[in-house]
Amino acid sequence: MKKLYLILTIIISSCTKMDLPEPTASSSVNIFSVTQSEVNDGQEIMFDLKSEGTYTLTIGNSENNQVITREKFTGKTGQNKLILYTKSLPKGSLYLLLEDSNRSTVNKTIIIIK
Amino acid sequence: MKKLLVILLLFASFLGFGQSVSAPDSKSFLQSTTAQDASGFVLSGFSATSTLLTSISLVNPPSGTTFVLNTTTGLTAASGFTLSGNKTRLVVTGTMADINTALQSLKVNTGSVKGNVALSVAATVNPTGYFYNGVNGHFYRPIATGATYTAARAASLLTTFKGQKGYLVTITSADEDAFIFNNVPQGNIWFALTDEVSEARWTIDAGPEKGTLIKINNGQTNGNIPGQYNNWAGGEPNNSGDEDYAVTKWGGGSQWNDLPNHFSCAYVIEYGTWINPDDATFTEFYTNSVTHSNGEVLTARFNFDFGGNVDETKFSSKANTYVNNLWSTTTNSPRSISGLGKVDITNDLDTAKINTGYKPIIAGGGSEWSYVNPNATWMGTGVSRLLIDMRQFGNVDPTTVTKVKILDAYDGPVNYLSHDANGWAQYSVPSILTKVTDGTSSFNQYIRNVNGSNTDYAFACSISFEQTSAFKQHGIELSYTNQTDLNTLYNSIVSVTDVYLAFKELSNGGLFGNESGNEFTSGIQFMNADVDDNGIFNEADTYKLLQHLTGVQSLTEYSALTYLMKLYGKTDYDAITKSNWKTQFKFTRSLFPFSLNTGTLNNTYNVNVTWKGDVNLSHSAQQTVSSVASNSIRTMTVRTNSVPNEINSSIITEIIGDKVYAYITLDPLQQEVVGTQFQLNYDNSILRFEKIDFKTKGNPMNYGTNKGTYVNVGSLISDGSTSLDNTTEYKITFAPTRKITNTLGLMGIGTTDAVNKAGKQLNVKIN
Repeated sequence: MKKLYLILTIIISSCTKMDLPEPTASSSVNIFSVTQSEVNDGQEIMFDLKSEGTYTLTIGNSENNQVITREKFTGKTGQNKLILYTKSLPKGSLYLLLEDSNRSTVNKTIIIIK
Repeated sequence: MKKLLVILLLFASFLGFGQSVSAPDSKSFLQSTTAQDASGFVLSGFSATSTLLTSISLVNPPSGTTFVLNTTTGLTAASGFTLSGNKTRLVVTGTMADINTALQSLKVNTGSVKGNVALSVAATVNPTGYFYNGVNGHFYRPIATGATYTAARAASLLTTFKGQKGYLVTITSADEDAFIFNNVPQGNIWFALTDEVSEARWTIDAGPEKGTLIKINNGQTNGNIPGQYNNWAGGEPNNSGDEDYAVTKWGGGSQWNDLPNHFSCAYVIEYGTWINPDDATFTEFYTNSVTHSNGEVLTARFNFDFGGNVDETKFSSKANTYVNNLWSTTTNSPRSISGLGKVDITNDLDTAKINTGYKPIIAGGGSEWSYVNPNATWMGTGVSRLLIDMRQFGNVDPTTVTKVKILDAYDGPVNYLSHDANGWAQYSVPSILTKVTDGTSSFNQYIRNVNGSNTDYAFACSISFEQTSAFKQHGIELSYTNQTDLNTLYNSIVSVTDVYLAFKELSNGGLFGNESGNEFTSGIQFMNADVDDNGIFNEADTYKLLQHLTGVQSLTEYSALTYLMKLYGKTDYDAITKSNWKTQFKFTRSLFPFSLNTGTLNNTYNVNVTWKGDVNLSHSAQQTVSSVASNSIRTMTVRTNSVPNEINSSIITEIIGDKVYAYITLDPLQQEVVGTQFQLNYDNSILRFEKIDFKTKGNPMNYGTNKGTYVNVGSLISDGSTSLDNTTEYKITFAPTRKITNTLGLMGIGTTDAVNKAGKQLNVKIN
């Protein structure tokens, strides 16, 4: 019993409860709302736009800052959904960058391709 | 002027030019012997005042092997280590001078178990807040600020140290567990182990071992998977309160417990994904190693030099032997080549000797069974004729005689000439047999000058026959990770720069008018550019290179490694010049033959690698003219093609109607770009290639080839008469094979290349 008290005391003294967001994203979560997420080929990604217009989504290698691909698309106000294909992309950690027609960054996150 | 030199030296020192660790050559230690000299590691190029972190490690040594530093003046042992005593690893800090003094006092103690004694030394400027594990070559960074498990896991992935992405620490051995215990002051440390996906199925959650299942039941030892490291406290894990994540140093002790995610605990970030410290690719981190042996063991160790732009660790090797005109492997298990290009195949050697023939021993005393014609000029220069009476051969076939010992006058190889069953067997001896003719032989009383004219000598002798034997011919065969990766590698080896350079060399003094005629500076370049292997570099070769670039026809009929790679002993490679390259071995091969009949047990082979078509030697070993020790200085850096000149390019994809388009554009900046090459990968399960439209100035040769999973596209102005400008655009059209609404990730740029008018390779920055 003494042992149990001792263990509980250690836990309470060394660990405190925290509430932090979970860094994962599914197709039902805004991909830019988390710092990074693992993605699969053909996965639907979702994000919000404040206004409609021409945007680009860029995928690049953050280690050498080299762009791998960039898609131009017409975005609509509110929720937008796109399919992400990964077969032609290198495996590992890449950045996903959303920019408006002026090449101003709207959002950025990390995607991990397995 | 002095001031300038001082400034330059300070600047160079600040930038850390020339930092390295050099290693001694291999040697054999005596078994069960203490304090054997293992000096020879030397740090150089570091600032004299910097505090360096240095690791000395024995990598998987034979039982009973340790080392000791007899001099440790000025050194401080890293946490968890002491300076004195026998060790298998030691991490210290100190100045370069103090560490070098200590390394000069390095001694090895051996036990009775024979085997390899691999010593590895690594050095870097001491990074505050990081701990180095000399056994696996990883760095660890303790984070004292508490976090939930999932936050710790995510935060770890966002960090980078010395060019390596971090991950929440994994603990895969008692050794690593002890390392964390000894080096991290906090208790209850998150590490990457979870059963969040399936209760009680504990799975490694980060790093190179991610996804490895180590335990399938809760309870201290229940369901522990054999071969996987588990170290749970009594009764743990028990999932008491939805505990899905693991901590080590539970309660300050040395064991593990499971906790719920919302607890805020310290954690450790690990950097490095390799097992062997030699494979480390940290930036500004320098390492070298040597493999000695404990006891006399026949060894074969290789140092492969691939140049700077090839990842050595993607190659593996197998030992082969050549028997009955066939090469066959001695093992089914390939050995990895380390990041330093090293591999030890000692344990794969076939050490059984084969009979190579017979050796007659001609000893003084007896009948005249043998004659010689010393210095038989009618047979050739420097040779003698030997005759042996056929009655002495017994069952020995005279054609199988390959060596002979003639009294004290000669002991060496002979060449069979002929024999007469009722007369003599005749051999050619590559010696003039001076001792037979000048009277200095101690067997002079058995030597008779037959005709008095010094041309015919008889030996009163007895003859016995010894069987001769030798190790089989060996070879080391290289292989690459897989064919797809090899195709990608070769695509980057033979690229537009190589083709342009070949054209430029060929057109010297012609097309540009003011050229002196020497674009190639090395015989290796000629050899690699002579892609039809006929010993002449001419327009037929440039045509083939162009066909390869444009996808009309590959340089080789087959794309296996053996048709692409060229292997040379370092000495032979360094001896290839612009004048002798035509007469040298020039063919591709992935198997390098080597002999064990060297008269020594410790065999180290230095092999240089180059490639058919690698005209600019971007992926080839550099030739050296000065002698370099077999353990030449190598430093670990991130492998990038170090091209100083840069141009810009961009890609954009879109879907319009029922077509998908990729546009690749160019901004040459200040460069006169005469060649470009882009590999555009595409998802062929969704897209079908249709065509390429080129928008280029002047009349370059534009090329575009569909390779099934990628399109090879670019331009070449082979005479350098014009250059590409920023209106250059390649528009690649695909048709979707099923309905799609967007293109994100369907296409992506892989390898790139560009070359300017001067033949300089350019870095293509995609932005």
